[in-house]
Amino acid sequence: MHIRIRRTIVGASAAVALTVLSFAVAPAAQAPAGYKAPRSPFKDGKPDLNGIWQANNTANWDIQGHAARQGPVLELGAAFSVPAGLGVVEGDEIPYQPWAAAKKKENAANWLKLDPEVKCYMPGVPRATYMPYPFQIVQTPTHVLMAYEFASASRTIYMNSKDESPADTWMGWSLGRWEGDTLVVDVNAFNGETWFDRAGNFHSEALHVVERYTPLSRDVLQYEATIEDPKVFTRPWKMSMPLYRRVEKNAQLLEYKCVEFVEELMYGHLRKKTK
Amino acid sequence: MAIFERRPSNVLAAALALAALASASVASQSRNVETRTAARTPWGDPDLQGVWSIATITPFERPRALADKQVLTAEEAEEIERTNLATNNQDRRDGAGTDADLARAYNDFWWDRGTKVVSTRQTSLVVDPPDGRVPALTAEGQKRATERAARGYDSWEDRSLWERCITRGLPMIPGPYNNNYQILQTPGYVVILHEMIHDARIIPLDTQPHIGKNIRQWFGDSRGKWEGDTLVVDTTNFADKASYRGSTDGLHLIERFTRINAETVRYEFTIDDPTTFTKRWTTSIPMQHTDEQIYEYACHEGNYGMVNLLSGARAQEKAAEGK
Repeated sequence: MHIRIRRTIVGASAAVALTVLSFAVAPAAQAPAGYKAPRSPFKDGKPDLNGIWQANNTANWDIQGHAARQGPVLELGAAFSVPAGLGVVEGDEIPYQPWAAAKKKENAANWLKLDPEVKCYMPGVPRATYMPYPFQIVQTPTHVLMAYEFASASRTIYMNSKDESPADTWMGWSLGRWEGDTLVVDVNAFNGETWFDRAGNFHSEALHVVERYTPLSRDVLQYEATIEDPKVFTRPWKMSMPLYRRVEKNAQLLEYKCVEFVEELMYGHLRKKTK
Repeated sequence: MAIFERRPSNVLAAALALAALASASVASQSRNVETRTAARTPWGDPDLQGVWSIATITPFERPRALADKQVLTAEEAEEIERTNLATNNQDRRDGAGTDADLARAYNDFWWDRGTKVVSTRQTSLVVDPPDGRVPALTAEGQKRATERAARGYDSWEDRSLWERCITRGLPMIPGPYNNNYQILQTPGYVVILHEMIHDARIIPLDTQPHIGKNIRQWFGDSRGKWEGDTLVVDTTNFADKASYRGSTDGLHLIERFTRINAETVRYEFTIDDPTTFTKRWTTSIPMQHTDEQIYEYACHEGNYGMVNLLSGARAQEKAAEGK
């Protein structure tokens, strides 16, 4: 479908953001000395990131360190309580502005009502990366497709492009480039409707994410996401985690088309009552 | 946003009928004039990559008035395109102020159905059986179709998968909007990105067997292989509820993708479901290259249509009780 809405101001704010980030955030991960990733079959000399990948942590429950706690549904008991996690945020602190810190608490208190994941909405970036579902990287020299199992969400990373998004989006507008063996993705044009986790961590439509995917070995990528949102945070901050290849010989993405799992929740009050 | 009504193609059928009277039948030559292209990926597979549109005004089934006419002449095709443009135009103002005028302008703003017949000028997308029409349903298929047609607005479960923003499913068929598809290839995979309800369909190219028969999916389970320059994709494991034109979970879908020139991938699919259709049938659709991009289509996230439709039905019931 043609989209005619134009967006402005992206270029200038991105440039400012990059400058700020280079001072505020610790150096990014580098490929370990001695490891050289296999090259892309497109013979462009770039590392080959193709594969099915998955995080193995509890960041989707809470990107910050957290102890295990009882889950929200009494009947589910130990089967759906919250597993502990060391957290994935550098320094374990998210620099919220005061109003935003209050809103985060409110989000957490009303998690089931407010979390877009519960409604099967597209999860946004970086959350899609560390949800407990695999995703597949399909890498060509011009387009890198990230296909996520959750909600059949996906996004295309346009390589070496300066195109601007024609509209705000759930999954962001992704522009990629290579820095050595690291795939760097600049993501903007978010609609502000997505969250970072089930603990109520959130952002606005001013979110700007810089992701870095660095191959550490054949089966491990180091993932970093630098988060900048001047409407919500006092400074940029960073999260990082390894992503693991799904090495099963028959690994493939299956469907998690969750819309039908939430229709009763969302539309149940509109069902015709039987007398 | 979700718009679900397909405009009846009466006007097109009439135009096609006129066109048919105007000239003699032309033999199907499209396969003979194709040029074999040597586009290859760096690892030697035929290259199908790009963004492709299947928007077309060619009807799915051949209008009965055309009988055994399989291909239009260039003049007939032009006439049909002219008639279509004059008919489906949001700037038309005849009947100004009527509901019909309002609906036409509103709907045409959203619709993006294309303005051309397919490049092969075939008279229908269905090419086998030779009459260009979907074969009759079996008795069981007919029974299910009748049940489906009787569904109303009691709940979302009565509405189509498309309306519910679950998926447009398979096979790929032209619709009123979101007709673009992007094909990407890596060694071992062909990936088709569907703009309609954002499906990234990943087709492994290997000899691995299909997944276990207990795993049923909206898109089934696909395996692809190259037969010469044609990608042949075999899909089974459909969920019963994925139903295409009433098909069951026994549906076996066979698709063939052939790059016939720089601008065109020929997409053919065969529907094999003996419990639903009295015989197999095949459709052939030229996918045309486009410079457009695939955009995010957040269907479920913005499905006000479902809320409005159900609450409208409840309001109508309440009003009827009050009478």
